[in-house]
Amino acid sequence: MIAKYYQFDIIINKPIICTEENNAIKLEGEVSSWQEVIIAGKVAAKSKYRGVINKITVKGITVPSFQRPNFTDNIIEGQRPDVLIIGGGVIGAAIARALSKWEIDLMLVEKECDVAMHASSRNDGMVHPGITHPGSLKAKMNIRGNEMFEDLAKELDVPFKRTGMFILFNSWLEYLFGSTFIIRNAKKNGAKGVKRVKVKEIRKIIPNIPSDIVGGVTAPTTGVCPPYEMTTALAENAIMNGLKLSLETAVINLVETNNEITKVITNRGTVYPKVVINAAGLFADEIAAMANDQFFTIHPRKGEIALLDKNKGDLLNTIVSQVSANLLKSDTKGGALVKTAEGNILVGPTAFEQPYKEDYSTDYTNINALLEVKLPIIKGIEKGDVITYLAGTRAATYKEDFIIEKSKKIKNLIYAAGIQSPGYASSPAIAEEIERITIQLLKEKREINKKKNFMSVRKGIPNLKLLSKQERGELISKRRDYGHIVCRCEEISKGEIIDAIHATIPALTLDAIKRRTRAGMGRCQGGFCTPLIAQIMVEETGKNMLELTKKGDGSNLVSKFTKS
Amino acid sequence: MEQFDIVIIGSGPAGLAAALEIEQSGLKQIIIERENRAGGILKQCIHDGFGLHRFKKRLTGPEYAELFLKRVIEKKIPIYKNTFVTEIIEMENKSYRLTLVNSEKSLFEIEAKALILANGCRERTAKQVFIQGTRPAGVYTAGTAQYFTNILGYLPCKKCVILGSGDIGLIMARRLTLEGAKVVGVYEVKDTPSGLSRNIAQCLDDFDIPLYLSKTVTKIHGDKRVEAVTVQKVDLNLNQIPGTEEIIACDGLILSVGLVPENELAKSLGVELDTHTKGPMVNQSLMTSKEGIFSCGNALHVHDLVDFVSESAEIAAKGGIRFVQNKGEEELIHVEFDEKSFLYIVPQKINLLDIEENIHFYFRSKKVLKNVSVVIRTGDTIIFKKFYHNMKPPEMETISVNLKNVLQNKEICFELKEGVST
Amino acid sequence: MKKMICIVCPKGCEMQVDVNDGISVVTGNACIRGKEFAINEILHPMRTFQSTVKTIFPELPMIPIKTDDVVPKEYLFQIIEEIAGIEIKDKLKCGDIIIQNILGTSVNIVSTVDMYLYF
Repeated sequence: MIAKYYQFDIIINKPIICTEENNAIKLEGEVSSWQEVIIAGKVAAKSKYRGVINKITVKGITVPSFQRPNFTDNIIEGQRPDVLIIGGGVIGAAIARALSKWEIDLMLVEKECDVAMHASSRNDGMVHPGITHPGSLKAKMNIRGNEMFEDLAKELDVPFKRTGMFILFNSWLEYLFGSTFIIRNAKKNGAKGVKRVKVKEIRKIIPNIPSDIVGGVTAPTTGVCPPYEMTTALAENAIMNGLKLSLETAVINLVETNNEITKVITNRGTVYPKVVINAAGLFADEIAAMANDQFFTIHPRKGEIALLDKNKGDLLNTIVSQVSANLLKSDTKGGALVKTAEGNILVGPTAFEQPYKEDYSTDYTNINALLEVKLPIIKGIEKGDVITYLAGTRAATYKEDFIIEKSKKIKNLIYAAGIQSPGYASSPAIAEEIERITIQLLKEKREINKKKNFMSVRKGIPNLKLLSKQERGELISKRRDYGHIVCRCEEISKGEIIDAIHATIPALTLDAIKRRTRAGMGRCQGGFCTPLIAQIMVEETGKNMLELTKKGDGSNLVSKFTKS
Repeated sequence: MEQFDIVIIGSGPAGLAAALEIEQSGLKQIIIERENRAGGILKQCIHDGFGLHRFKKRLTGPEYAELFLKRVIEKKIPIYKNTFVTEIIEMENKSYRLTLVNSEKSLFEIEAKALILANGCRERTAKQVFIQGTRPAGVYTAGTAQYFTNILGYLPCKKCVILGSGDIGLIMARRLTLEGAKVVGVYEVKDTPSGLSRNIAQCLDDFDIPLYLSKTVTKIHGDKRVEAVTVQKVDLNLNQIPGTEEIIACDGLILSVGLVPENELAKSLGVELDTHTKGPMVNQSLMTSKEGIFSCGNALHVHDLVDFVSESAEIAAKGGIRFVQNKGEEELIHVEFDEKSFLYIVPQKINLLDIEENIHFYFRSKKVLKNVSVVIRTGDTIIFKKFYHNMKPPEMETISVNLKNVLQNKEICFELKEGVST
Repeated sequence: MKKMICIVCPKGCEMQVDVNDGISVVTGNACIRGKEFAINEILHPMRTFQSTVKTIFPELPMIPIKTDDVVPKEYLFQIIEEIAGIEIKDKLKCGDIIIQNILGTSVNIVSTVDMYLYF
């Protein structure tokens, strides 16, 4: 069926062919800019179809498929798990943890050399309050996820802080409309405690806001929790409960017969799962296409983030953003100043559409613009306080909502896709929902019971700096390496680094150690500690210095021994 | 809790020199060192050229450090190695309580009447100069590259671009080349080099390594390992000029883009900092705004030569000794200077009640100057004048003046005059 | 006429050497050492040399070394090759000779560290 969608001619002025596939609208054609691709997708999203498959290309731009490991072996060949989860981001890890409560054979494949390598280590770590998009799955999952987050973080030994959030306004008109809008959304969604606050009240909590602020809205349930730590903790806890985690394992193809996936072909062998869960983040659409079930396209919405020196951390103990009317209409909040659980102030993220899913480069103009807009929200922070910046991409669909469902076509495929902001906050709820769908599906085949010996508590690497002096002292007397400081900016000991190297999911790259321990995240950005950590890695893993990498294959720290 | 008269933080060239000075006074002292070996950054500065002023010899970094370390060991001055200062609290009796952490003694406290902060400086990073692009392996500060090359024996890259013509960057250009790497070029955002002329001659010119002025690295390419960098011309205001981008293939980017005094401990104590030096404000005995806390070496301001680092440490040590033995009164005045001419002047303050002896001033000019005179003025009277053929920001200048009975209206001001005018 | 920067001390004098009838006239130097350097630089440029050699000691896997006097500039890369295979098996003091008379220059490769101070 060819349905010519009338608005395209007006907006894009290029021939776009529309067809129907898997009950979704599929767009094809060639345009001259990525912006036009996005516009076409957005227009199509307003149709009654359940999704938009956007195959429109841009003249001169080739969008690459996902990067995958450049080796093959047979390490998982012939495995027959009950459930195979594709993707080791926070969503895949949370699902793994939820499903590990059950007596099933569970496997997770992740193409990178560690979990949380994409969006899950490239976001602001904010646990949103759920004040946007009433009626959406986003709203529903966000509210439930926020409720679950604190207990989950406690069980998994991940720092969580319910910091609350303040949205500031500097014009009475915007304040009137903006606050009404937010409070109405919050009520519809069921977000608790969202209300207007007077400037005087705000100043009690954030003394150094600009003088032109007329009022604000508070969302007290908002929290922060380091996303890479949460992802690692979820995956480690799942492993404690039987999950098989296979890293550097990319799905090359899915073999589908009679609307059922029979084989999953990876670079490390072919797997024969009963149920497949697509939690492949930015590449969930490519995985769907492998199963001939594509009904959505992920368009990567990039965001850039800047981090400030910890020594300015005391200037903010909550989350603050300043909203103007046009931001309220956009798909994301457009960034804030976030006091992270680690103690830094984080600025961002920005949001803009671009074609590359794994391009995490930052741009001078964007970072500059971000800082110019956001830094003035608090007096006393400046450009010179920036210690690092990074980029991530949100896995957005054109419908701009989560896809959490069993495939309408493939009997044993389940989707946790299109998980963008507030995906992190929603992750425990998404996992809960996927757990329900999966168990229901498995129960159609055989009886499934909950594990009697499920271990819900996981202990992380101790963060000695945060302990009381007495506790810290006692730990050092037990493990001398805890007394040897290696990272001077974040005060991380050799013991903590050794713990990370030998953890349930071993940290075997410099970046993995940084994500686990924060060593190298401070103001010197690893200048002093990188060679010291490299030496510890050599001692603990028996590897040669030349084999060590920053983030897996091809990212070697050093090039050559000088005296050979 | 063990009590000390003076605690020195850092056992680099500053800390060791301070300790030897204090030793002569008989006061009880200790050095705290966070690394496993004393010597500070000199351990990895294996090139020569150290000690020309002080010892009239061309020493390498380790040799210079050892001249001090040997005596420190002979005199049995205690050093806590692998020991980290996690907190310093000012006590009611005006002494300082330090919480230290190490493997042997776990978490423990000591108390000191005076502190000498000799904990050096750190390097500015790629992010602090706002280089954009990806975050692959192969981007190192010159100091990190130096550690890999000289301490561990590994080349951090095979073919690299160096950003910044600071001395460490120049020295590393030569080291990497000698050890078998290719240095494609050294790029400097300013229109004059940041390092000493002789290092340009012996580290770059000797090896035909080109130096590009008014050009900077703006972007890093490569996901896993550096594959290339974008370099771009800048105008006189250091703004990037669009359309001048060039992509240079390389597998490493080494940064020598400036040093910043490490002053986190000073900040935590509420010590007043100088926006010019980024180190503490001090008086002529190098005491900070906090009584009993002294700062010296590169923690105070970044020096060009280690000889002056040792010298400043000795001044701070003498100040510390006097402070412990006889807490003197202070009447402070600010040292004024022409901000258009000078980058900074240390000390920033003069204690008028302590001007018996000569005062050592350290300063740098803001730009390259020829045939100028530094003039110290009090009221309308010129009390000191010195002529310089050349004055360059990379070269720290030092002068020694006696201010006894000459200061009028409690005022002192540094000025630069062109030419040899009288 | 040849222009050069003096590398003898951090002052870095900009010097000029004019050779007339085999006699070198140096200008721009601030001291006698500069003049000597300039004349040498015209006839046979000499440089100091520093590098590292490997050891068998894990506490100090590399030690810094230097030539105990200047060597011809063109020898630098040859010396690097000469020292590549060296492995220090005994503890050395600062100044201890590692290679005598390197490449026939009558200059020695010596340790610049006292290993006894470290372990």
